[in-house]
Amino acid sequence: MVAAVSVPSQAQTVLRGRLCDPAFVHSALRSSPDTNYSKLKYLVASSVSEACNNSVLLLGPRGCGKAAVVDMVLDDLRKEHPDAISVIRLNGMLHNDDNCAMKEIARQLCLEHQLSFSKMASSDDNTEFMIDMLQECGLAHKTILFVLEEFDLFAQGKQRLLYSLLDAMQSLTSQAVVIGVSCRLDADQLLEKRVRSRFSHRKLLFISPSLDDIQWLVEHLLILAKDSGLPANFRAVSYMDMESGFPSIESFLKALSSMQRQPKMDSLQDLSILELYILVCMHRLEDKEQSSYNFTSIMKEYRSIQDAYKTSDKYASTVCFRAFEHLLDRELISFGDNRGRNQALEYRPVKLLISSRELAQSLKLNTTCPVVLQKLFDRERYM
Amino acid sequence: MDLAATPSRSKSKPRSSPAKPVAAPAESRMDLCTPSKPTPRRKSKSTASPAPMSPATRSTVRHSRRLLETPTKAAPEVQVKATPTPTSRGKRAAPSPKTPAQREPKRQKRHPRKRAYYWKVVYDGGEFEVGDDVYVKRREAAESDAEDPEEEECRVCFRTGGGVMVECDACLGGFHLRCVRPPLRRVPEGDWACPYCEVERAGKVAERPRPPEGKRIKRTAREKLLSSDLWAARIESLWREPDGTFWAKVRWYIIPEETAAGRQPHNLRRELYRTNDLGDIEMETILRHCSVMSPKDFRDANDGDDVFYCEYEYDIHWHNFKRLVDIDDELETKEDPNDKPYNAGDDYNSDTDEDSEYDEEEESTSSFSARRNQSHGLAANSRKGRIYGLQKIGIRKIPEHVRCHQKTELEKAKATLLLATLPKSLPCRDKEMEEISIFVKDAICNDQCLGRCLYIHGVPGTGKTMSALAVMRRLRSEFDSGTLRPYCFIEINGLKLASPENIYKVVYEQLSGHRVGWKKALHYLTEHFSGGTKIGKQANQPIILLIDELDLLLTRNQSVLYNILDWPTKPNSNLVVIGIANTMDLPEKLLPRISSRMGIQRLCFGPYSYRQLQEIITSRLKGIDAFEEQAIEFASRKVAAMSGDARRALEICRRAAEFADYRVKQSRQSAQSTASANKGDGVVCMGDIEAAIQEVFQAPHIQVMKNCPKFGKVILVALVHELYKSGLGEVMFDKLATTVSSWCHANRELVPGYDTLVKICCKLGESKIILCEEGSKHKLQKLQLNYPSDDVTFALKESPDLPWLSKYL
Repeated sequence: MVAAVSVPSQAQTVLRGRLCDPAFVHSALRSSPDTNYSKLKYLVASSVSEACNNSVLLLGPRGCGKAAVVDMVLDDLRKEHPDAISVIRLNGMLHNDDNCAMKEIARQLCLEHQLSFSKMASSDDNTEFMIDMLQECGLAHKTILFVLEEFDLFAQGKQRLLYSLLDAMQSLTSQAVVIGVSCRLDADQLLEKRVRSRFSHRKLLFISPSLDDIQWLVEHLLILAKDSGLPANFRAVSYMDMESGFPSIESFLKALSSMQRQPKMDSLQDLSILELYILVCMHRLEDKEQSSYNFTSIMKEYRSIQDAYKTSDKYASTVCFRAFEHLLDRELISFGDNRGRNQALEYRPVKLLISSRELAQSLKLNTTCPVVLQKLFDRERYM
Repeated sequence: MDLAATPSRSKSKPRSSPAKPVAAPAESRMDLCTPSKPTPRRKSKSTASPAPMSPATRSTVRHSRRLLETPTKAAPEVQVKATPTPTSRGKRAAPSPKTPAQREPKRQKRHPRKRAYYWKVVYDGGEFEVGDDVYVKRREAAESDAEDPEEEECRVCFRTGGGVMVECDACLGGFHLRCVRPPLRRVPEGDWACPYCEVERAGKVAERPRPPEGKRIKRTAREKLLSSDLWAARIESLWREPDGTFWAKVRWYIIPEETAAGRQPHNLRRELYRTNDLGDIEMETILRHCSVMSPKDFRDANDGDDVFYCEYEYDIHWHNFKRLVDIDDELETKEDPNDKPYNAGDDYNSDTDEDSEYDEEEESTSSFSARRNQSHGLAANSRKGRIYGLQKIGIRKIPEHVRCHQKTELEKAKATLLLATLPKSLPCRDKEMEEISIFVKDAICNDQCLGRCLYIHGVPGTGKTMSALAVMRRLRSEFDSGTLRPYCFIEINGLKLASPENIYKVVYEQLSGHRVGWKKALHYLTEHFSGGTKIGKQANQPIILLIDELDLLLTRNQSVLYNILDWPTKPNSNLVVIGIANTMDLPEKLLPRISSRMGIQRLCFGPYSYRQLQEIITSRLKGIDAFEEQAIEFASRKVAAMSGDARRALEICRRAAEFADYRVKQSRQSAQSTASANKGDGVVCMGDIEAAIQEVFQAPHIQVMKNCPKFGKVILVALVHELYKSGLGEVMFDKLATTVSSWCHANRELVPGYDTLVKICCKLGESKIILCEEGSKHKLQKLQLNYPSDDVTFALKESPDLPWLSKYL
């Protein structure tokens, strides 16, 4: 019995390990010659072995495995040419400023070659150091690989960093590869024309995998091979005990709904009655094609409703204002424009951030919702 | 002045001269560290027997084949003179007890109190010059120095002379053509191994012919060197001690066996490594000349036994290798040609220089030891530390793939198409280069160099900088041959300056060698050019200032440009400015007082036409059969139509070659058995060029749109629809979402919630297919299409998963 429990949990561990390891996710790509992996590998490996410079841009939406492919290629190259490669990684988010990026390059170069690094060096010094290093490394048959993530963010300002990197590639002694990674498809159009002319315009496009590909990939991930180091009776055990051995379709559904939340709908669920009143008032105002309204006009509407229907939900305006603020905090409503920041909150124009359909749905789902409110909403709609 | 011969680290060296930190620190470190692998080089006590090099005659054999010429002249008379002078290496100015009285140098000096340096010394009948490579004796009692055979014996008949000999590439033994079995008629092409080596290679034991009884095999100097009985070294400087002995500072060569890595399989038989180890030796120990050549020269040189191959430098402290740089065309420009005779006439001069050298070395000694204690002071990326830090970088073993790789045609083509490779000639820019060179020459030759300025403009990749630098190189060689006055050349790139004002700093540093703040530098420079106190020694030399990317020097009040362009107009400034930029109308955009100083002489580099591009590419690819003729034409026509950028054309061709290479390698991998790669496979064809052009010019958005998720496609189509309906440039998300939901409803798709739609919109916005505001605006955000709506229509007209979508387009 102990073995039966431990085997599914063991399997779970294996699967979790696989899912969290990008190298394994993409390892299926290694075999085929048409994948971006083998193209990039060829590109970088040939520039390492033929001692030439290169620059390449990896484009594609997020989550298509650009960085994972780069990592895999770098790992492979480190294995093949153990001494001849040093990798400099920069991220456009972190090293937005040219000087700071230069410093980071110098720091990583120093780290890589066990040199001492000074934080005090000026950016001129750092630039010069980089160019000297490029030459020295080129003379020693070492390739420096620059990986620039969020490449589009480097293409701001004067683009001094890109210019000096790409210009250094034009000298015979340097031996470097610049790999830019970006999710902006027009990243190469952002370059200034003299920088663009120096860029080699190699582009690898990563596109989001199609349904078949995903299916294949998931199969590759989730199906455990017989010889995966698990005891041989694993399959038998899991056949016997379906619930604990295999992830069932319900668990997938559960996972999906926990992944794809609808934040606005969720926050609509647990609103108080008063807050719902305010939302319905705002909706009525919008239906009357009143384009701009603020708290006071909402209050007017609220009062008129209360007067007409005499419900028990009549509150003082300070209480209503508190509820209004709460709605603002939950971002179910927002200010219409950015002007008038110094105005009091009551007088700033506001807008609804949810659609009428969502509102209707939440009113229906809310069991404590008074019938009047539902009616008010419906009447407005279908009158 | 005199020390110009030694690569001492002088402070006055301008930044641009990369005459290299490789040599300099090595020297300054020479006598302070004990190399972890001590390589004792003892002086030989015994004789010197210098003999003039036998003049080798050219023959026509290619590659590593070397004809062992039997010299036709009579053997040179060998003087044997014993003058034991034991000294310890590494100590400078070591007193040598005995003065060899019989040496008679050509340039005798009267006051032998100080050291006197020479360019050239005639010693024992041999002429030694700075920069020569020589054999140096190593052993105490070298077995028989008297016999230093100039000619090699045949390995079969053990006689010298008598016909053409051929060298085995494996054992380096010499063979008469007639002695080889079967006899050879001619010197064979390509690599040749003697029959014995062939047998050994096959794994059998070969019996080499024994020498006749009683006769000892005389070993040539080359053999002795390769079995480490001799040293080879390069003379770095020559001087005479006060007591009359002649000394030389030499840079040692090392044979592969003596390196830490040992002999590697890819080492050539005649390969040597240059070390960064220098030593002082007496001229006594120098045997005679040999020649150590770079790979290129080695390939061309055919004959003589004393030829060696040297491609790498070996660092004796770190035990690693580094390629040698070609610094031929980047020597310092500042040298005065009058230095050439290098006759140390005045003792005073050499004395001071020497002292200063000592000072510097001591300084570096102390700073080096300081570095060991606290690594803080001299970080590698700060200015002073670089000299020490970069020493370490090198490779432990020369990687095999670099040496043993036979390049295919395609790989050769890729190499020559690199932007980095400097072509032998620059086609299509003769007229412009002529103009630049006339301009510069005018400036140099005119006595009161009329301050002028040349503005070069043209779109990127039309060879502006390259032509200017080529002109300067040509002038440099003219200057070397002595037909031109000395001048000073400073090259600055506007984009590599941290700020425009830094240009003063850089110029001043190049002129004087000192680093000051830019305000101070501006002050000094203004004084220099307006005829006040001059900077540096060569105050009156014309200065040529080449500023690349001139437009980057624009500041708000344009004072930097004004100052720089104002200096040439000053009398006696001796300054010429060449500015390079992209825009044609830069002078017009500037203040009138600047444009009047700059816009007078202009030179336009137009975009290349397709014929020119074709010529550029074919001239680079000369002798390499890798491209189809039409392919080149197609590429150049395409580029000329778009931009006329030579860089672009070269890159497209290189990319196409990469495609072809990739294809060839993949096919070889997949079908090892059917490896008979047909001839047409290894050639870049139209398809490759087409693919490369596609990659360069085509934006990838259509492909991405085609592979969007389902709702992404719906959103895009809805966006196009809404934009078309409203005729405005942008759409509110609210409206878009209603359209999408109603469409989905009508076509029985799952109706997405607003939150999902916002998420997808943000994703599309991230890859800039649409432009949208930040997601927190949710329903209120405005959306715009970043590409023409026709592209969307084209991309999504047929989408298999959403067949109903096309009716809304």
